[in-house]
Amino acid sequence: MTTRDIIRRSGRSLKSAKGRTILTALAIAVGTFALTLTLAASNGATAYVNKIINDNFDPSELIVTADPSIFGQASTSSPKEYDPSFGTGVSNSGATTQIKKITQADIDTIAKVDGVASVREDITVNARYITREGQKKYVTTIASYNPAQKPDLLAGGLGADFNGAKLILPEGFLQSLGFTSAENAIGKSVVVSIPKNFSPDQLRAQLMAGSFAQTPEQLAKSIQDNADNVVFTVAAVSKEPATSRPGTELYVYTSIDEARVLNDISTSGGADFRKYNSIYVKVTDGNKANNLDATAGKIRDLGFQVRTVKETQEFLTNIIGVLRGIVAGFGLIAIIASVFGIVNTMYISVLQRTREIGLMKALGMRKRDIGRLFRFEAAWIGFLGGAIGSISAVVLGIALNPWITKQLNLSAGTKLLIFMPLQIIALIAILMAISIMAGWLPSRKAAKLDPIEALRVE
Amino acid sequence: MIKVNDVSKTYGKGDNLFTALYKISLEVPEGSTVAIIGKSGSGKSTLMHIMSGLDHASSGEVVIGGKTLTEMKAKQIDAFRASEMSFIFQAFFVEANQTCFQNVMLPLEIAKTPRGQRKKRVESALRAVGLEEKVDALASTLSGGQKQRLAIARAIVNKPKIIFADEPTGNLDSATGELVIDLLFDLNKKLKCTLVVVTHDNELADKCDIRIEMKDGEIISASNSKAKKEVRRV
Repeated sequence: MTTRDIIRRSGRSLKSAKGRTILTALAIAVGTFALTLTLAASNGATAYVNKIINDNFDPSELIVTADPSIFGQASTSSPKEYDPSFGTGVSNSGATTQIKKITQADIDTIAKVDGVASVREDITVNARYITREGQKKYVTTIASYNPAQKPDLLAGGLGADFNGAKLILPEGFLQSLGFTSAENAIGKSVVVSIPKNFSPDQLRAQLMAGSFAQTPEQLAKSIQDNADNVVFTVAAVSKEPATSRPGTELYVYTSIDEARVLNDISTSGGADFRKYNSIYVKVTDGNKANNLDATAGKIRDLGFQVRTVKETQEFLTNIIGVLRGIVAGFGLIAIIASVFGIVNTMYISVLQRTREIGLMKALGMRKRDIGRLFRFEAAWIGFLGGAIGSISAVVLGIALNPWITKQLNLSAGTKLLIFMPLQIIALIAILMAISIMAGWLPSRKAAKLDPIEALRVE
Repeated sequence: MIKVNDVSKTYGKGDNLFTALYKISLEVPEGSTVAIIGKSGSGKSTLMHIMSGLDHASSGEVVIGGKTLTEMKAKQIDAFRASEMSFIFQAFFVEANQTCFQNVMLPLEIAKTPRGQRKKRVESALRAVGLEEKVDALASTLSGGQKQRLAIARAIVNKPKIIFADEPTGNLDSATGELVIDLLFDLNKKLKCTLVVVTHDNELADKCDIRIEMKDGEIISASNSKAKKEVRRV
């Protein structure tokens, strides 16, 4: 028999036992359903991570820190020795901790490393508030704009003239600051208040002015009011953060030169003056992995912690991979369980069709072809199960995507479940292969059947 | 020409040795009709199985058209059966949930007949047995006689040289049985194929050119021939 005839015959014999076939296929469908959704979710998560990375980082840049704990690589279980040169930082748990920061001297050293094109500090300044004439004051954080970031803009632009006291205002501030629309905000002035440290001179002046007479409340207020108000021009309005790093949704971005000024204002006289948690090092021809790795190695040799954007990406996708592995494991268990269903069904099919097998053998059908007939039948069951499972997963996924996006506060248009046709086809092909293996023993039984015995059955 | 030379078939060993066939020899000329009759257990079915290559002889040889069946490999025997032989059974063995067309198609698929010829041959086989109206009917909707006619269509579709019929009328009432027998003999003449019938039915056996009677694994009489254990054309 030709393969085409065998496939058609096996399909037909399944049709004649619809109930049994569908029930067996449903068992496979359950596992397939889980696997398809898992694959889709990890596709979506990976795409999301990649989008965040690509929208926020320049792949030709290295992220350099002086303290391993920033990359989560340092042990926190043993006490750390105090070092007066360290700056302060806040750990994930909220406790104040010491973080070894990058100093101006470090930056100068790194800038001289072979292969380094430029160095850019990663600056975030906790402003007191942002406001506008006649409006309320709102808490905010100012960060340096990284030209690699590609925020979705509602209005304005981020051309070469994005420098000095200009900023990108997140959409969320529009209404609060009394703008009627994104276009309305462009070119308008807003005021950002940057807190300052008390310098020794200021303290002395306060003391001389009889601060001892002040109440603690008055003192606190004078400390709080020790700030510079900087006037900014709104250059662009960014959309509700599509893909910016989580936690930075309401960050206001300004140019790197302005950010440096603000950072100096806020840290002058304190322990963190001109010290940075991390810096970005742009590598010459950094699009080539070789250059990136070579330069990263040289900076590492100087005692810094270096991570490439790719590594960060891999770190995040590894976590996704582990989660995917766990869920996929459950799907696989379901599929393994359904394999026994196929074996059982195929045995029943062989028993029921003893006479037919005998007849086909009598008519000269080869052992091999009889075996194939039943293995193809098993493959059909696998195909059906795979198709039912993956199609229902796709239908459910497409229906649920908008809801998931809303629930997880992802920006509109972001899909957490991404179905890839090739993946689904591969999955079904694998299922068919597994089914064929499950059908192997029953098909061998059919092939070995003695036609005389088989035809004696009445 | 089918030649059976000294074929024996035994089961078991030692004290349990059972001889189903003992040194059977016969010759069947091409195009003739042969009836093998005998009671249950006489060995007539075993003889048919060995002649068709479904079963192996313990000793002796079967030669069909110059080819020694008993020396062939399983694969070759299968191919030989697919192209040269076909079967008709007492219980019809038609697939009830398939159409007549699909039932008759089976031997063509097994013999890998080119796709283009199949439809024509199935239709002409169904026409030969008078079932041309039932091409797309499910076999389960047919009466007993129609089912056996369908089985005959399936047996002739491949233009075999030999048709083996195992009690072809056993499940039919006598009137229907007679129609089926007439059809078989008619086809034997038209298609010039050899017909080997295993039967209890004396009336059927009498219509055959050669009549072989078996008992306890041996041929006890062979009509149309003077010599015992050897059959020659009349």
